[in-house]
Amino acid sequence: MVQERRILYEHLDVPDINTFDVFRQYDGYTRFEKAIAEYQPDDIAKMVMDSGLKGRGGAGFSTGLKWSFVPRDIKPCYLCCNADESEPGTFSNRYVLEKNPHLLIEGILICCYAMGIETTYVYIRGEFTLGKEMLDAAIKEAYEKGYLGKDIRGTGLNVDIYTHPGAGAYICGEETGLIESLEGKRGQPRNKPPFPAVEGVFGKPTVVQNVETLCNLPFIVGNGVEWYTQMGPTYADTRSDPPTPDPNTGTKLYCISGDVNEPGVYELDLGLTCSELIEVAGGLRGEEVKAVIPGGSSAPILTHYELDTRLDFTSLTLAKSMLGSGGIIVMNETRNIVDCLLNIMKFYAHESCGQCTPCRWGTPWVRDIVQRIADGNGRKSTMTRPKFGVAENGRWGDTGETEEIYEDLDLLESVANNIANVDTMTWNTICVFGIAVSWPAVSYMRKFRPEFEAAIREGELVTLPVAEATVPPEENYAYQQRFVPKEFADL
Amino acid sequence: MSDKLIQIETPFVFNGENQREFDALIGRYPVKEAAMLPTLHLAQRQVGYITPAVMKYVAEQLEVSVMKVKDVVTFYPMFFEEPVGEYVIRVCHTLPCALRDCKGVLDHLKAKLDTDVASETNLAKGTTPDGKFTLMKVECLASCDVAPVIMVNGDLHKNLTSEKVDEILNDLSEK
Repeated sequence: MVQERRILYEHLDVPDINTFDVFRQYDGYTRFEKAIAEYQPDDIAKMVMDSGLKGRGGAGFSTGLKWSFVPRDIKPCYLCCNADESEPGTFSNRYVLEKNPHLLIEGILICCYAMGIETTYVYIRGEFTLGKEMLDAAIKEAYEKGYLGKDIRGTGLNVDIYTHPGAGAYICGEETGLIESLEGKRGQPRNKPPFPAVEGVFGKPTVVQNVETLCNLPFIVGNGVEWYTQMGPTYADTRSDPPTPDPNTGTKLYCISGDVNEPGVYELDLGLTCSELIEVAGGLRGEEVKAVIPGGSSAPILTHYELDTRLDFTSLTLAKSMLGSGGIIVMNETRNIVDCLLNIMKFYAHESCGQCTPCRWGTPWVRDIVQRIADGNGRKSTMTRPKFGVAENGRWGDTGETEEIYEDLDLLESVANNIANVDTMTWNTICVFGIAVSWPAVSYMRKFRPEFEAAIREGELVTLPVAEATVPPEENYAYQQRFVPKEFADL
Repeated sequence: MSDKLIQIETPFVFNGENQREFDALIGRYPVKEAAMLPTLHLAQRQVGYITPAVMKYVAEQLEVSVMKVKDVVTFYPMFFEEPVGEYVIRVCHTLPCALRDCKGVLDHLKAKLDTDVASETNLAKGTTPDGKFTLMKVECLASCDVAPVIMVNGDLHKNLTSEKVDEILNDLSEK
């Protein structure tokens, strides 16, 4: 069985680790001291680039690359730490804030030193009352001990950290929405470009990083790049010639919930498979896995055919899903996928910020269609049409058969794809919220189509056995371009 | 809405402690407007909800228009424009909690408190007549490993069952 490798979470359960003295006993702030004593700021930025660290917030963008976009001659530059953890299924940041806030402060200090940043805002969810209290206390202590404020440890480095409470809006977890909210406005995302790295909060260059990403920095500096890159797989990106390395290095705080025996946060090397993770989390609660959401509710669902998919940024992207924030939700054979989709669509219809028309009107529309199907009023035509699928010649086309027309399913796909098209990956909205809506809507419907059809046909929710409810990969055009990545070492 | 803004009954000012906190807040940002969210949190802590008088006061303090404050207040679900109960009970009903029967918890709370669930535009619907509790559904509270969860004011209660809900309500009623 895969073993947990606790790095960020290593000392999480040590009593009073939230106090400076105890944190100090466990190498606290020594990594920061090492950074300022042994390295120049540019060295740190290079280390982060070489480590292959990818942002843990959701997009999985290379942290080193993000830092390289920040112009060094425009001051002040800001760091925004994104602690607005609201993606359903994700809860790893909350434990860091509540139990080990000094680790985050150390990560912030290293980032500030590398980027020449003097002011950091930690945008923390309004609901995280305890987390904010603990972080505020830790910041106060760090000021008293001389690790924050003016002229830190006699190096001339000035860093201030302020916490900024949110007020319950999901969209403020999007980086430009966060910036708007931080400026005291409605949290409606901005058009990109200009990217926050160039023009962010208060019109100045801004680095926006997730809590988990920042918490990785002390370990990269403390133990070196070589140690860090040993963890997790590095793939070859064969789109370029010669292939470029595509690192998925480090550990990930996998949050697993739903139908498993021991839900919780497990820190593991990136790249383990879905079924391995379920085993680590005490096994499945129930008989059979029906579906797995691999990266928070925005991620396209995986079926029982895909349990061998590796849970890392590259593999999941190739499987037409995403690792996102690492919130894994497992569903067993008793769950009805229509019902699950309805729950998720209610969430998105509530959380749409209302800025872009396709999303403002599209999300409630999708919700209403799913609600109608779940209520047993789904619409079905009496006519039939030619069926498309894998034809005799092995290519996608007319199979020569006919199929029934489920109008509401066609409508659902059409509305969702007009908010954001999941096949072409283009969205008609300013931010990626649009794709976060249509991804689950379309993927649930395509992969569990028999269950949707049954609900419309029977006029009530019908939970089919797993094998009958799932569309096999070869019949599903969502899978058509799927291929398994090769390890870089195998080349 | 315009009527509400004009009918300002009792003027609002920060009390001593909140004024001190506000003074510390304002120095953190290069522009005053950025202190909007923390300032509104302070004000809501003092009077329980955001009254028109609060909006006017906050607007003056931050040197923005009242409309801009209203704009922000209406956007964020954590700011209330109507009075709420002494204890606001937030029940998470997003997928991971739904898989662990949050509906049972919600139904139990509804029966126990003998009230409906508040909607964002009608908080009174979910408030008990004695003004002690307000029951509302919220989206993910980022505690999916200990689902189902509820949040009573700032405190999170985990792994709920009907018995645990009874205990929590008893504790609160005695206070």
